[in-house]
Order: sequence, then C-alpha cells, then structure tokens
Amino acid sequence: MLGLIKGLNVTLKNMVKPKVTYNYPQEPLEMPDRFRGIQYFDPDKCIVCNQCVRVCPTDCISLTGKKNPDPNQKGKVIETYNINFEICILCDLCTEVCPTEAVVMTNNFELSTYSRDELFKNSEWLFANDENIRSENTLNPIPVKKPTGGTPS
Amino acid sequence: MIRTEEMLLNVGPQHPSTHGVLRLLVKVDGERIVETEPVIGYLHRGTEKLAEDLTYTQIIPYTDRMDYLSAMTNNYAVVHATEKLMGLEIPERAEFLRVIVMELNRVASHLVWMGTYLLDIGAMSPFLYAFRDREQILDLFNELCGARLTYNYMRVGGVKWDAPKDWIGKVDHFVSYMQKQMKEYHQLVTGNEIFIQRTKGIGVYDQETAINFALSGANLRVTGLNWDLRKDAPYSIYEQFTFDVPVGEVGDLYQKYLCRMKEIDESLKIVAQAVANFPSEGKIMGKVPRVLRVPEGEVYVGIESPRGELGCHIVSKGKDKPWRIKFRRPSFYNLQILPTLLKDENLSNLVAILGGIDIVLGEVDG
Repeated sequence: MLGLIKGLNVTLKNMVKPKVTYNYPQEPLEMPDRFRGIQYFDPDKCIVCNQCVRVCPTDCISLTGKKNPDPNQKGKVIETYNINFEICILCDLCTEVCPTEAVVMTNNFELSTYSRDELFKNSEWLFANDENIRSENTLNPIPVKKPTGGTPS
Repeated sequence: MIRTEEMLLNVGPQHPSTHGVLRLLVKVDGERIVETEPVIGYLHRGTEKLAEDLTYTQIIPYTDRMDYLSAMTNNYAVVHATEKLMGLEIPERAEFLRVIVMELNRVASHLVWMGTYLLDIGAMSPFLYAFRDREQILDLFNELCGARLTYNYMRVGGVKWDAPKDWIGKVDHFVSYMQKQMKEYHQLVTGNEIFIQRTKGIGVYDQETAINFALSGANLRVTGLNWDLRKDAPYSIYEQFTFDVPVGEVGDLYQKYLCRMKEIDESLKIVAQAVANFPSEGKIMGKVPRVLRVPEGEVYVGIESPRGELGCHIVSKGKDKPWRIKFRRPSFYNLQILPTLLKDENLSNLVAILGGIDIVLGEVDG
C-alpha cells in the first residue's frame, strides 16, 4: 500500500506543474535551424551536375537539363526538376552533395495532401517553398562559379 | 464431468501491446497457454537486399528505419563496420559526439520501453512521464541533426554535423535533470505493489537457457551474466569511461525492469563524463575519399544496442557498394525465446512477458 501512496504523491506533485504539451496545429511548431524539412530548389543556382539524383537512396529526384540559351555561357541550365515526396525520406543527402546549394532544406514539414499525385512536386513549387530556409547547408561546399545573371537576392 | 477444450486465439497484428505488427497465434486451454507461435514479417522491407544496390553512405538512412527507437546505434553499426574494413581513423571530437548521441539514444529507448511496458500491464501515467523526458532528448537530437527519429547523423569517417553552439551545455543540463527524474520514476513505479505482483517471479529463465537462445542485452544480463560489448569487446572510445554493467540474479521481469533502469543511470554517467572531457576543438570528419571504395574483404562488428548485440557483417568485393550486408538484429534473436517462456503461463501474463523482451518490430522484420 505504501508504494501506491508514494506513486500517487508524484502524480499530485506534477498536477500543479505547468503543461509540457504544444498547442499544435492551432499554433505553428518552430523547428531548429538544422531541421530537415521539404526542400527548396533554386533553378538559377543549379549547374545540372546530377549529383543529387545519383546520391538519392530512394531515387525520388528526377531532372533534365538543356544547353545554356546564352551562347557566351558554357555548361547547362536546368529544364525540369521534380521530387517525388511519396518516396522521399528527407534524408538530407541531396543537399549534402549539392556544390552550389541549389537544393537546400527548409523547416517546413507539412506535406499531407488528399491525393498521392499532389506529392509529386516540380521546380516551380519547390522554388516557391522559400520560407524558413536552412542557413547551414552543404557538408563540403566546393566553390563553383555561379552562372551570372538572374540570381535572386 | 468437466471437460476443457483448446481454443485458438489470435493476438495482433494490430494490437498495441505487440509494439508494432507482430501476430501471435496462441493456443489456450482455459486461461492456460498451451502453445504460442509468433508470426513475423509484416514490416519486412528487405533492408539487407536493398543495401546491396546502395552505396555505403546511402545505406545509413535505411538503418535508421530498422530499430527506429535507437537509430543512432544502427547508424553506428554500419558506419563502424565500413570504417573497420577501410582502416579509417576517426577524429576524437567525432568519437565523443558519437558516444554522447548513442548513450542519449539508449536513455530515450529505455524510457520508451519503460513507459510502454507499464502501459501494457495497466499503468497509464508512467508512460506520460517517460515520454515527457524522452521528448527532451529528441529535441536535443532535432537540434543536432535535424530529425527526431530518423537521424542519419553518422557518416563513414565521422559525423555529419558538429555540435551547435551551447548544445553540449544543454546535454549537461539534461543529464543532471534526468538524474533527478530517475528518483521520481523509482518513487512512481519501483515500489508499486501492483507492479511488483505483475512482474516478480514471472517469465523466469536461467542463464543457460538465455545463452542457448542467443539472447543479448538486458535479456541476458538479467540472468546474472556480465556481458556488455562496451566492456567485453570495446569499440569507439568506451574504454575511456568508467561505468558499471548492471546485472540481475533471478531473471524475472521485475529484475529486467531494474536492469534497464540502472542502464539509464550508467548511460547518463557516460554522457556526463563525455561532456566533461569533450574536446574544445577538432575535426568531425576524418580523411575520407569522396567516393567510398571499400577494399575487398569481410568484416563483422558487434555493438551494444539498447536491445542487445547489434552486429553488422559486410562482404565487400572492392566496389562502392557492399556485395552482401547482414545485420544481426537483437530483437529478432531475443524474440525466439517467447514460445518457451509463454508455455503453461496464464494468458494475463502474455503481454507482460512479451513486453519484457523489448522488441522493435522494424528490427525483427528487417
């Protein structure tokens, strides 16, 4: 009987302590900077190096590139960039290998939709996902000459 | 004449006390269990086969999803095996970070076990206390590596992130908070008469049975055998820390509970020492080529996960992908003793004994 009363004592003590629960979703939940949320993609920064496609463990990224329309510029520019969030596991490997930080993580995590097709996101959608972008990104950034012009400030 | 008849009872796969999707086919005679047959495989994803087609870095997020309550130790198993095969040297700071996160993860995992186990046998409130404290660990991990369960934190050669500013201070603060909380748990649960009646002398097995069933972790130590891979086959920098290995005597459920609670104490001790000796500066990644090509060979490493010996066996043919990878998943081995333990038990002890083994179905099914 003594053990039960001792236990009840703990419960009573905790009754007057402040609540530890969050009022989510009524209030938004703030995540730390490093949180791995839905990616943001900047088409102007992308150099079509295909590293994110190759490193993705679930093959959820697909992209195509085209020749740079500016004849004075070398290299390729991005044409389409899609992430399939049905299978993306938000493992962060794509942002880790991206040399130009074209694809970066954000703190946004609300992905639920009514249809599976809506989880297939294209580059426009990913570019519009520009809130709460993570400040710390690539593990080993390689200085790469950014394509001139059109980089949003 | 009173005549009894055997009945087939199906428990699960959707049953809260099976901690995942485990199905038990139980043959009962009245309330006495005659035979139990666990049916596994509902969560099988073929991690080992998938890993044959993935590079070593790509395997790490998959290991997160095996034992999702202690993903850090899973990360470490595959990373450690690869490093051993490559003969890499790991910077000290990275090793300290690894030990801190692995031990915090052990605390979090044992808290989940403690909470849900008591929930299984009918106590609601300890579950809420355990999850409240576990939440703090998850918040620390969220700040460190950006996820609450699937950390993907370790890399071959080091760790992905360095500790953020003030993080080590927060860990230190948590350790002293948790040490205080442990007293509350003992006050709340350990002396509780109902809990003692439900667990003392239930599900007993001896040391020989435990060894024959290849049990490991707290399931083995509860029988009195002092076997902890952190001490007996030291890996990482565990040799630097002083800690005890809690062992039981009788091998019943009550002592399993005590063993795991003491393990939390010991883990907190290790974290406190690691925080105190944490190198003020240093690299977090060793010298690793960009494309990992592991030399031809075979390696097996066993590490002490919260559930027991987590082994990783890699066969490499010199490519950037493993030729074969095999995980010795402790939950799977520990589960095998269940039919033996449940024989001739009362049906009401089923969830108590099953919960005592501490299985994670993601790990059982692989």
